[in-house]
Amino acid sequence: MTNQDIIARVNAIMSEGFEIPADQLKPEATLFDDLGLDSLDAVDMLVSLEDNVGIRVDSEQLKTVRTMQDIYNLVGNLVAKSEATH
Amino acid sequence: MKVYITGMGTVSSLGNTVPEMFSSLLENKTAVRRMEGWENYKGLNSYVGATVPQYDIMRVPRTARRTMSPMSEMATLATMEAIRQADVSIGNGQSTPRVLMCLGSTTGSPENFETYFKKIIERGGPEGQMGTTFFKVMNHSVNANVAAALGFKGAALSPSSACSTSAQSMIMGWELIQSGMYDIVIAGGADELHYTSTSVFDIVMAASRGYNDRPTETPRPFDVKRDGLVVAEGASVIVMESEASAKARGIRRLAEFCGGAYICDGAHMSQSNKFNMLDVMKATLERAKINAEDIQYVNAHATGTVQGDAEEAQAISEIFGKNVPVSSLKGHFGHSLAACGTLEVISSVQMMNEQVLIPTRNLTEIDPACTGIFHLQEKKSFPTTKVMSNNFAFGGMNTSLIIGASGD
Repeated sequence: MTNQDIIARVNAIMSEGFEIPADQLKPEATLFDDLGLDSLDAVDMLVSLEDNVGIRVDSEQLKTVRTMQDIYNLVGNLVAKSEATH
Repeated sequence: MKVYITGMGTVSSLGNTVPEMFSSLLENKTAVRRMEGWENYKGLNSYVGATVPQYDIMRVPRTARRTMSPMSEMATLATMEAIRQADVSIGNGQSTPRVLMCLGSTTGSPENFETYFKKIIERGGPEGQMGTTFFKVMNHSVNANVAAALGFKGAALSPSSACSTSAQSMIMGWELIQSGMYDIVIAGGADELHYTSTSVFDIVMAASRGYNDRPTETPRPFDVKRDGLVVAEGASVIVMESEASAKARGIRRLAEFCGGAYICDGAHMSQSNKFNMLDVMKATLERAKINAEDIQYVNAHATGTVQGDAEEAQAISEIFGKNVPVSSLKGHFGHSLAACGTLEVISSVQMMNEQVLIPTRNLTEIDPACTGIFHLQEKKSFPTTKVMSNNFAFGGMNTSLIIGASGD
């Protein structure tokens, strides 16, 4: 999965699951302050990422996420690890 | 202290506002249809149900919607309609210590219960559960979600007694306004249609099974060919208000809520009987300080079950004989469970204010076991100033209440 694929998947989840307009999904956008998400959304986002991308995210890892770029990086790393073991 | 109804709202199988709903009733429409795919559920014999027309929930913010199942969505829209009509100022986070929100449902969302536990069993634990799911299946999910959607800050109670839930909500509202604790009570109930709800009735042989290919002909309250109830969905809400508050605000009073009673018979979980129905109807007359001769119409619970309808007809006959017109609206709406009590009060208020009585749909041949009362079999122009409405529920939860013309 390329970086572009990952960004597209994550952005689709944010648009469809959390109704965030595509033009707000910038790498530097912060999830809570800029995009208006909260801790309850973060849990559902984690589940959506797991179901849609086929990765397992440790909830501790999620606590370090602040921006959209952080999500792209987290998902990218987990996908890379997963692909390396297959 | 007198209590009045100053606002009404509904999302029902026959329309998503009170005017739409009542217009459908006047046209004698039914919402009952065959539910696609229900024949694939093993052991289910009833494939009929009544769903609500499509509604628009997108005007509610996402952060409120995300924890709503359909029953909370419908309850939110019904509450918005009711408080708009009553023109009460609640919500947006302002503290309203003199207002009680009293909305209930039979259970939390059946659909979400199913998906929640299905995943638990498949995964062997809570892995992969959404954080928002639990907030759709709590016993007070409807009340909590409506409060969050409106920004309501005040007292909230969530009665739950299956098919008498919203009747209990309203009667409790009447009691609490009378006690002086609150000026305004937002009362009602909601439930969503799911095959597991119909299954509950089907298992105890109370759901209609013989009309799967003729859905508009069932349920048939009081009819000799009735074979059970049809589950519907919806939400219905009224704003109840003390006389002093309504007068001070100068708001139009749609009807008086004269009183009611709820009595658990402590006898049987599923079988109703006329003696316990009689008890609650008599208690209602007594509590409302109204004579039986002053009641001009009885809105029966009559869901179309063989036993329940006959017992209710006999109970009504004991008090009213053949003098008072009686009808059930379940043939139109189906049985909206926790919502039906308030839906039937709203319908009765409309009937009273428009001086018309709606007949029992699908009642073509009165069952000999249901005689002894004045069955309404066709629409009738009829002035009424006092109406009794009954609701009975699993668990022996019997309710009755009286509404009256407001004079406004």
